Amino acid sequence: MADIRLVDVSKAYGNVRVIDNVTMTIGSGEFWVFLGPSGCGKSTLLRMIAGLEDINDGEIHIGDRRVDQLPPAERGVAMVFQNYALYPHMTVRQNMAFGLQNIRTPKDEIERRVDSAAKILELGHLIDRRPSQLSGGQRQRVAIGRAIVRDPKAFLFDEPLSNLDAGLRVRTRIEFAQLHQRMKTTMVFVTHDQTEAMTLADKIVVMNNRKIEQIGSPMEIYTRPASRFVAAFVGSPSMNFLPVKAVADKAGKALVTLGDGSVVETAIPTANLPKGGTFTFGIRPEFVRIEANGAIKGKADVVERLGDRTLAYVRLGDGSTVIASDTGISSLDTGHEIALGVDGASAHLFDDNNVAYSAA
Amino acid sequence: MSTVNATAAPAARTSVRSRGQTTSLGTKLITALTVVVAAIWFFPLYWAIVTSLKTDEETVRAGLRLLPEEPTLKGYLFVIQNSDLPIWYMNSVITSVIITIVSVLMSAGAGYAISQLKFPGRQILWTLILASFMVPVSALIVNHFIIIAGVKLLNTHLGIILPMLITPVTVIVYKQFFDSVPREYREAAVIDNANEFQMLFRIFLPMNWGVTTALAIITFIGAWNSFLWPFLAAQNEKMMTVTVGITAVQDSYGVAFARVLAGAVLAGLPVALAYLLFQKRVTQAITLSAGIKG
Ligand SMILES: Nc1ncnc2c1ncn2[C@@H]1O[C@H](COP(=O)(O)OP(=O)(O)OP(=O)(O)O)[C@@H](O)[C@H]1O
Ligand SMILES: [Mg+2]
Repeated sequence: MADIRLVDVSKAYGNVRVIDNVTMTIGSGEFWVFLGPSGCGKSTLLRMIAGLEDINDGEIHIGDRRVDQLPPAERGVAMVFQNYALYPHMTVRQNMAFGLQNIRTPKDEIERRVDSAAKILELGHLIDRRPSQLSGGQRQRVAIGRAIVRDPKAFLFDEPLSNLDAGLRVRTRIEFAQLHQRMKTTMVFVTHDQTEAMTLADKIVVMNNRKIEQIGSPMEIYTRPASRFVAAFVGSPSMNFLPVKAVADKAGKALVTLGDGSVVETAIPTANLPKGGTFTFGIRPEFVRIEANGAIKGKADVVERLGDRTLAYVRLGDGSTVIASDTGISSLDTGHEIALGVDGASAHLFDDNNVAYSAA
Repeated sequence: MSTVNATAAPAARTSVRSRGQTTSLGTKLITALTVVVAAIWFFPLYWAIVTSLKTDEETVRAGLRLLPEEPTLKGYLFVIQNSDLPIWYMNSVITSVIITIVSVLMSAGAGYAISQLKFPGRQILWTLILASFMVPVSALIVNHFIIIAGVKLLNTHLGIILPMLITPVTVIVYKQFFDSVPREYREAAVIDNANEFQMLFRIFLPMNWGVTTALAIITFIGAWNSFLWPFLAAQNEKMMTVTVGITAVQDSYGVAFARVLAGAVLAGLPVALAYLLFQKRVTQAITLSAGIKG
């Protein structure tokens, strides 16, 4: 167990920069998730911690050792790959033992560790099978077992759930959470699935286009996104964005006027806002409720019934569309004229540089 | 065999459906042609075996007899007892086995290095190997002879073996195989503390022994069948390989077809056995190296 510190780490392939001055400290025993769209550099960042990619600049520390010039095996981390990379010609037992044999661990010690990992992961009855004789979920557990036996200072997972079907993915996600509770080892987990990130992480690192957009707890990321990208990327369905004009009210909070003329009171202090008055207004669909006496009028273009809630794509007077939500059992139907109530306290404003402003 | 049937059958079925009688006739014609070609290829072999079982008198009798009248193993007994065939056999076994082991090992190492390691000159080395593969052995044979004679290795096993260790095709096949291994395996093994030897011998080669077996078999067959170099390198009868030795039998027996052909059959036996035992692997090997040539 150890913390992982990245200081001003950069990486380029040839002339193409893929990671720009990343700094973060992953606390000892914490579960961190790198979240971001495809190609944003999350795998690269993880592989740099593992030592599978060189870094061009900066420092990486694991525990009290600087590791950025050390070969992967000496960094004391274990990695689980997206395709698991189990050695196809070895049995489950041999797969788990291989790394220990290479560092000349005594036979009985190997035996003990493999058996204990197999027990944790319920692999006992599969121990003499080859990877080709296992299901996807079982292979994944073997890959984790191979990491566990090394007793690493940190676990690195690169999209370990993406090859599993939906049901299994949810179950395995829970197993990951349990595994972390039990092992209490530092874990770094890469995914582009926000649900995985929200459910597993102590801290989420939202990445986009070589850079870190925000580091925060799942609820911070959700309720106080630092940028428009984070606001849009996290949450499903995505946050509504509308162009607005904002002025200060008597209490120093922003009062915004939507395109259709309706006014929404927010809890965002105007003191921090840049001058100009034009912003993008952001509000999550769950804070736009369908209310008989709501101030905003519109027409339901599309109605989606999800069971636990109903989503309506509502066209406002000025032609813009917002996603609003209603209870699961709703009489709402396509074409209905409806009124919306907005919970201004949960709204955000974004300036021209996509920087976010939220309620204090 | 089974794979051929498996792919041919659905193809035939669909074509029957689409174009009816004409294609099925075409298929029959092609089958017939294949049988004829196979028969033409097979006949000399058959003739050699039959003749080797005939008496000397019968071999020179006029007329075509497809079966020996009084089958006899005299021809075989004669070459085994009265020639150096057992010694030649030993020479062939020794040289072919050593060539196979050493050349497969070296090629695996070279292919691995070129495919997986970053070192200066790697690209040049690869280009040279590709280039050497374009040069036929016969073009180099004079050089080989001068060098081997120069180091006084003519008429030794080592002298026969050394030039035959140059097998660029095996290096190329290995390199391409290693290239095709997803990089995560290497990375997993790197994290697992494997050094380059463990990487090669415990991960990359065992991942698909089929490649190595296939290459070993064609190398062995090639070494056993080779004639030109052993013929030049072993002038002393005691150092000859089977392929070279049986030409000596032919010269010294005059017209004794049964003996000559008995020698030939014995010489070809290990290769025939290799083909029969490892039919699938041989096909695989030929496809592997044909993929490179084509
Ligand atoms: N070996 C390489 N050479 C050049 N560019 C590379 C190399 N590896 C990755 N890249 C580039 O670096 C960027 C980040 O890649 P990375 O694999 O880290 O993305 P990712 O966030 O993991 O995406 P995904 O979710 O698709 O796995 C991409 O734009 C990719 O094209
Ligand atoms: Mg990735």
